[in-house]
Amino acid sequence: MTYESQKVAIKYFVISAVFFGLQSLVGLLLILKYIWPDPLISILPFNTARAIHTNLLVVWMLFGFMGGTYYVVPEESKTELYSKKLADLQFYLLLIGGLVGVIGFLFGWTAGRPLLELPVELKWAVVIVALIFIFNVFMTMLKTKKWTAVQGLLLGGLAMLAAMWLFAIPFFKNLTFDYYYWWWVIHLWVEGAWELIAASLMAFILLKITGVERQVVEKWLYIEVGLVLASGIIGTGHHYYWIGTPGYWLWWGGIFSALETVPIVLMVFDTLRHVKHRKIEIPDRLVLYWTIGCALFHFFGAAVMGMVHTLPQVNRWTHGTQVTASHGHLAFFGAYAMLILTVIYYALPKLKGLTQFNQKRGFWVFWITVSMMLTIGLAFGVAGVIQSYMQRGLGIDFLTVQGFMKPWFIAVFIAGLGFFAGVILYVIDVLSLAMKKS
Amino acid sequence: MESKAAKNLFIWATVICTAVFIWLTIDTHLSIPKRTNTDQLTDEVVSGKRVWHKYNCNDCHTILGIGGYYSPDMTKVYSSRGENWLKVFLKNPESPDPQRRKMPNQKLSDDEIKKLIAFFKWVDAIDTNEWPPEPITVAKATGAPIKDTAQILKGKNVYNQNRCDLCHRIGGQGGVIGPDLSHVGTKRDTQWLSQLVKNPKSINPTTQMPAYPQLSEDEVQALTGFLGGLK
Ligand code: HEC
Ligand code: HEC
Ligand code: HEM
Ligand code: HEM
Ligand SMILES: [Fe+2]
Repeated sequence: MTYESQKVAIKYFVISAVFFGLQSLVGLLLILKYIWPDPLISILPFNTARAIHTNLLVVWMLFGFMGGTYYVVPEESKTELYSKKLADLQFYLLLIGGLVGVIGFLFGWTAGRPLLELPVELKWAVVIVALIFIFNVFMTMLKTKKWTAVQGLLLGGLAMLAAMWLFAIPFFKNLTFDYYYWWWVIHLWVEGAWELIAASLMAFILLKITGVERQVVEKWLYIEVGLVLASGIIGTGHHYYWIGTPGYWLWWGGIFSALETVPIVLMVFDTLRHVKHRKIEIPDRLVLYWTIGCALFHFFGAAVMGMVHTLPQVNRWTHGTQVTASHGHLAFFGAYAMLILTVIYYALPKLKGLTQFNQKRGFWVFWITVSMMLTIGLAFGVAGVIQSYMQRGLGIDFLTVQGFMKPWFIAVFIAGLGFFAGVILYVIDVLSLAMKKS
Repeated sequence: MESKAAKNLFIWATVICTAVFIWLTIDTHLSIPKRTNTDQLTDEVVSGKRVWHKYNCNDCHTILGIGGYYSPDMTKVYSSRGENWLKVFLKNPESPDPQRRKMPNQKLSDDEIKKLIAFFKWVDAIDTNEWPPEPITVAKATGAPIKDTAQILKGKNVYNQNRCDLCHRIGGQGGVIGPDLSHVGTKRDTQWLSQLVKNPKSINPTTQMPAYPQLSEDEVQALTGFLGGLK
């Protein structure tokens, strides 16, 4: 850490970790509702709990990205943040907005669209938070002498994130248009804007820990995000097979989304190559583990598990089954959860001026969360294959098939308990690092 | 490749692909009115959609395959269940079976139910490129003829899956719209029962009981075997 204002990132990281813990807890509750008749059905039914689970997810990831950005930008721009006050204000606005959203869900205050359940008033509040954030980041970057690719692509990703969000706001009369633009938020976030942000943050960390020349790292960064957007934008079509949109999307969506795997494979090679040709020793083994683990899990969850069901011939049978839940968990965990944990394990000790700290707990967090999330994803996957075959293939009734899937839901629950234990360790680690005197 | 070239690749790839995507979006806008029958997208359908959002049904149910995976997909519910059944179900969906996954009774008003059904009817007619697919083969009990008890169990299953209990009682459990079936086997034979289930209007043209043409011959046999045994 070289700039005082980077320290605003600490509170973003803390809230990110705490919300991650809550999100996982609600995940356990959700899977229990699959296994047993739900005793909480009149207080916290499945739909409300699901809205809380997924919105907490988005909010903790936004806190992670914003904290990461506030850490990286001063160092890249070689200047203090434009305004530390705005960064503080924006933090509290987002925190209050998130809490009001979650509490609102409990009282039935919802827009009723999956993943975009926030009521319209809060959606506008998010726009305001995003504008403050981007303004602050942009003004800081203006003070820079030389624009770097890391800065440019980070800003580009954030701007795209905010722009796509606008499509979450209107009410659509026609369900087909509703979902058409719903995916402009969901898909163009996770397979567009967020990939830009994540790739830029990762490039920064690789630069710092391996000492490889900036030229080389940034060249690959451009190639990768170029391919992400080239495939991912038209790749949105893999969600337009069955929602009332024209048949040509089966071709456009199938081909372009299959190409989305290319940049993700490149990222794996790229990470491994930079580490192999490092110019400096990497004393921080923990960050190295998270970095490489993230590249590999991103590849498995997004590229492999995405590819499995992205062609229309397969998606016809698996669409809207637990196969999607399997991919959703593995991809979100590998691509974004692990990235944010990498950033926090890299940045937080530096923000506290610790040159050394006990990394044992961090390694436990790594192995527990990685192995348990793999189990969760695979168990959802088996359940999904059973469901696709019996319900779609054989035409057996929905709830009857759910009975056959139950052992795999139990497996999800057991692995979920392990996962939750890992997350608790992580929260303890982050809190104790954040509270250490520097 | 040079850094400069990589940057140009990034910019041009993005610009070109965005342009293609916008072009496809415009074309999609032109074809959706026909594929989704916007001429039938009445105010009632739109208010049905608002009810759908108000109760956040979509986080339990998928529709067009999108949403929560906790309960059945709604895309074709109108044609598979029919209006009568939906009306009764939505009024009080809770099943008396304690082991069954439940849909909460959200105390929908009759007006809300009417709007929801209009919404489902409109959704049912969307051209979804033939999704959900027809099953490849219909599940059949394989091998030797099933033993009596298994056959009865299967019949009971068909009764439960189709939520006949919404209107009928067996052993005191279920709805009151139709007659109590606890002893239906004493007065009806299986042939009569199977005619009723497939086409109740052929017995009483003004009946409220929905037809179940979607049941396979096997299922009807099992169901009527089960009902015929209730003595
Ligand atoms: C907490 C989760 C939950 C919510 C919320 C929910 N449902 Fe359900 N729904 C279910 C479950 C579970 C079933 C299966 C019940 C059964 O078959 O006994 C079901 C079944 C149905 C069915 C019958 C489907 C079939 O083919 O058998 C319809 C129609 C339906 N729901 C409509 C709605 C509507 C409309 C709403 C919103 C007003 C809604 N549901 C909200 C869980 C939910
Ligand atoms: C929407 C309500 C409704 C549903 C759902 C329903 N029924 Fe009925 N059913 C009725 C009514 C009403 C009658 C009375 C006969 C008439 O109207 O002619 C009836 C009559 C019957 C009878 C004749 C009883 C007698 O002794 O005359 C049988 C048997 C029966 N239903 C079986 C079933 C089965 C099996 C199912 C499920 C597959 C089912 N019903 C679903 C409303 C319903
Ligand atoms: C980088 C990260 C990615 C994340 C975080 C991610 C996440 C998700 C999520 C959460 C869903 C479910 C959305 C919903 O219906 O609620 C989904 C659906 C889907 N994803 Fe991804 N995804 C990623 C990348 C990919 C890639 C690269 C591919 C293809 C190669 C892909 C293919 C699909 C497909 C086909 C669906 C639709 C499933 C269905 O029809 O039900 N995803 N993704
Ligand atoms: C204790 C661990 C967890 C359990 C048991 C769990 C369980 C669940 C369940 C049951 C659902 C509902 C699926 C449905 O609609 O039927 C769900 C949805 C979801 N969860 Fe989790 N979850 C856990 C942790 C996580 C984590 C760590 C992430 C992200 C990194 C995550 C991301 C998601 C997403 C994106 C969805 C929506 C999926 C979709 O739309 O396809 N979950 N989770
Ligand atoms: Fe996608």
